[in-house]
Amino acid sequence: MAERGEGMKWIVNNRMNAIYLIIAAFLLLLPFVYESRNMLILLTQIFVFAILAMSYDLLLGFTGIVSFGHAMFFGIGAYSIGIFMKRFEPTMLHFIYAVLATILITAIVSFIVGLLTLRLKSHFYAMLTMALAGLFLVLAEKWRTLTFGNDGFTFRVPEIFIDRTNFYIICLVTMIAVFMILKRFTNSPLGRVLQAIRENEQRTESLGYQVLHYKIAASVVSGVLAGIAGIFYAMSLRYVNTSVFTMDITLDALLMTIIGGVGTLVGAIIGAGLIEFAHDGLTELAKEHWIFERWIIFFGIIYILVVIFFPLGIVGTLRKFTWKRRKLESAKKKENLAG
Amino acid sequence: MSELLKINNIETYIGQYHILQGVTLEVKKGEVTVLLGRNGAGKTTTLRTIMGLNPASKGSIVFKGEEIQSLPTYTIAQKGIGYVPEDQGIFAGLTVEENMKVAIQKENEETHKRLDYILNLFPDLKKFWKKPGGLLSGGQKQMLSIARAYVNDNQLLLIDEPSKGLAPIVVEKVMESILQMKDQTTIVLVEQNFMMASTIGDCFYIIDDGRTVSTGPMKQLKEDEEMKRKYLGIA
Amino acid sequence: MELLFNLTLNGLATGMLIFLLAAGLTLIFGLMDVLNFAHGGLFAWGAYSGIWIYTTTGSFLFGIIGAILTGFLLGIITEKWIIKPVYGNHVQQILITLGLMLVLSEMLKVIWGPNQLTANPPEYLRGSWEIGDMIIIKYRVFIIVVGLLVFAGVQFLLKNTKIGLVVRAGVMNKEMVQALGINIKKVFMFVFMIGSGMAALGGVLFGPYSGVIHAGMGMEFAILAFIVVVIGGMGNFTGSVMAAILVGLSGSFMAYFVPELSLAVNMLLMAVVLIVKPQGLFGGKG
Ligand SMILES: Nc1ncnc2c1ncn2[C@@H]1O[C@H](COP(=O)(O)OP(=O)(O)OP(=O)(O)O)[C@@H](O)[C@H]1O
Ligand SMILES: [Mg+2]
Repeated sequence: MAERGEGMKWIVNNRMNAIYLIIAAFLLLLPFVYESRNMLILLTQIFVFAILAMSYDLLLGFTGIVSFGHAMFFGIGAYSIGIFMKRFEPTMLHFIYAVLATILITAIVSFIVGLLTLRLKSHFYAMLTMALAGLFLVLAEKWRTLTFGNDGFTFRVPEIFIDRTNFYIICLVTMIAVFMILKRFTNSPLGRVLQAIRENEQRTESLGYQVLHYKIAASVVSGVLAGIAGIFYAMSLRYVNTSVFTMDITLDALLMTIIGGVGTLVGAIIGAGLIEFAHDGLTELAKEHWIFERWIIFFGIIYILVVIFFPLGIVGTLRKFTWKRRKLESAKKKENLAG
Repeated sequence: MSELLKINNIETYIGQYHILQGVTLEVKKGEVTVLLGRNGAGKTTTLRTIMGLNPASKGSIVFKGEEIQSLPTYTIAQKGIGYVPEDQGIFAGLTVEENMKVAIQKENEETHKRLDYILNLFPDLKKFWKKPGGLLSGGQKQMLSIARAYVNDNQLLLIDEPSKGLAPIVVEKVMESILQMKDQTTIVLVEQNFMMASTIGDCFYIIDDGRTVSTGPMKQLKEDEEMKRKYLGIA
Repeated sequence: MELLFNLTLNGLATGMLIFLLAAGLTLIFGLMDVLNFAHGGLFAWGAYSGIWIYTTTGSFLFGIIGAILTGFLLGIITEKWIIKPVYGNHVQQILITLGLMLVLSEMLKVIWGPNQLTANPPEYLRGSWEIGDMIIIKYRVFIIVVGLLVFAGVQFLLKNTKIGLVVRAGVMNKEMVQALGINIKKVFMFVFMIGSGMAALGGVLFGPYSGVIHAGMGMEFAILAFIVVVIGGMGNFTGSVMAAILVGLSGSFMAYFVPELSLAVNMLLMAVVLIVKPQGLFGGKG
């Protein structure tokens, strides 16, 4: 009983958390009340990309690291699951092996990349990740015995993932879990150091923190989570090909994070929703007019404008406004009290 | 109007730090004005603010009757202010000759005269004309930096601690050359070496904690032991 | 012997193309501290605009000139509207140039369609010379010669003109350049323009070399150019030409003997440089 009381208090104290909870509940119930296969698939896709975008936000928004090769981790996850499911029986055990393999490989790769470049200027990380992702793309194209080259391959998934609704719920729950873990992580002492690094790296260093260690930690966590997103992505399609390693994936993550709002996590989710919906809508429109086939161009332009004029993105800009309003209000209150 | 430069109560921020909190200076034409003060007092920042490298957020800087505090650095330099930074700012990969070429704003008769004059003053520069700036000795770098500031038709030179890290004999040489140039330009000199400051300087300003706290003719400071102890740490 | 010769020639030609891309990248980085991720887009734009002019007018020379002018123009626009607004903020700069890359590549598809275009060398550069049992493809020699000429030209500019000196001085100490009365913003614009022009020239030369051009080529070459910039030392112009030749040659030889590893070897080289000498294999800045 006491616990529930606590819970109520928590909800009352946190308007934002209450809103999150309501949305989560709504999304959980949605497949049971609104039966649209297309909507379900689209939302599943959004959840998967939200995980990817959040992992990206941990780097860009919370640590100030720019990665242009996030697709590499995503692709590692996608191919790990694909290969395990194809080579062996599509059982839960092999699923777990695939997850473990993904975690292991992404952790090692992100650790090495971080070690090599994070002590240098931010350009180097961006450049090396971009080049490495290119390397993985070539690897996936050339190592045909394992990857079947450009065409990729289809595979079966364990029983539990076959049902679309089931899979939807699993992706949703994973996304929420990742959100909460990252929320915790970024609010932990370690996360605060990361933010201090973003604000002023030299000062953080001079306060006695081993900046490099923290940055590498962020890089590894981010890489692993992107790999997890890749696993679910491939499972949603039950198919994997080299496109998972392309720049497009990285760009998607980047657009979602930037447009949604860097350094907010929830912005990444909103960004994922926006981009995927727009993606979907514009694909429809492409049947009407060819210019919409080039939808990326609109995003590119919006993205450039956002970077110049709204570097905080949707969530960040909103927060700034409410924050300002609150400050104004409290200032007024004080005035009233004084007067 | 004998003031070439008038700084009126400037304040400067570097990032979020409030470094200059009220610096006021008057520099008379033809004089050497010395800025004194302990380490970290804000002397370098004052010069950088004049140059527009750390722009002032408040106050005014008037040079030759014109407000310059919001102009970009290059325009300020073009108006006739030469700058010799604390670290000399030598282009290490460029030869002495190339360093001078970058500095020269107008190729004309007068500039060549000035160049000849300064090279006679610093024969070392002529000697190492084709040597990369980075390979010069500390004193030679100082000379090159002063020469670069002098070669243009500048009415004011800002020189930041020319004696820093130099052997006494070299200090003397640099000092002599500044004394020679004194006839032709006005100089604002930041100098910790009191011997040098008091020999060259006509008047002084003491900066402490980002504020000008005292000023007067050099003679006065030489005799004021109390002041010297308090702000300069010399007994 | 003949094989070695051909691989060398091929590697040199590729190296020169990468050099044309990397040179601008490294100069812009050295002077402005901006890593232009859209640089590959300029390469692709040079290729498309140049090849288009070439096929419409029938004159390869016009194509080349057109490509360079396109590069200049795009360079000016980029510097003014994309880079300048976020000057001084690294993360924003990196992000925005990538956005520009996206727009540039997609624009190509909007204007010239999503399919690849074909290109052939002009009559006078087609075919090959035979010396003994050696076959020398003319167009490759042409690329090498043009690359070397551009290198010499830029080198001359940097060493012997005032603006060149200012550029080199700016790479070493931007503040001092301004304190000496030079408007460095104008110099930035100039360097951006020249760098973009070189990239565009590389693109149009690449067209007849590979036979086809496509919108994704910008990105592919940009990756090689990044590797070159790191190996040669960021901001080091002479370093970039040597590194470009190195990468071109290693690419050409590896592609013949162990094709799977050709990109990997260059990546490995870059990784090693990053570990042992992040300022580049060829000395410091300069
Ligand atoms: N880039 C910067 N960021 C933060 N603080 C700075 C910066 N540059 C200078 N400061 C601070 O501003 C103050 C004044 O510095 P300044 O270099 O002007 O002193 P100074 O009088 O020239 O000292 P010195 O005799 O040691 O050269 C110092 O406390 C210094 O720590
Ligand atoms: Mg100082």
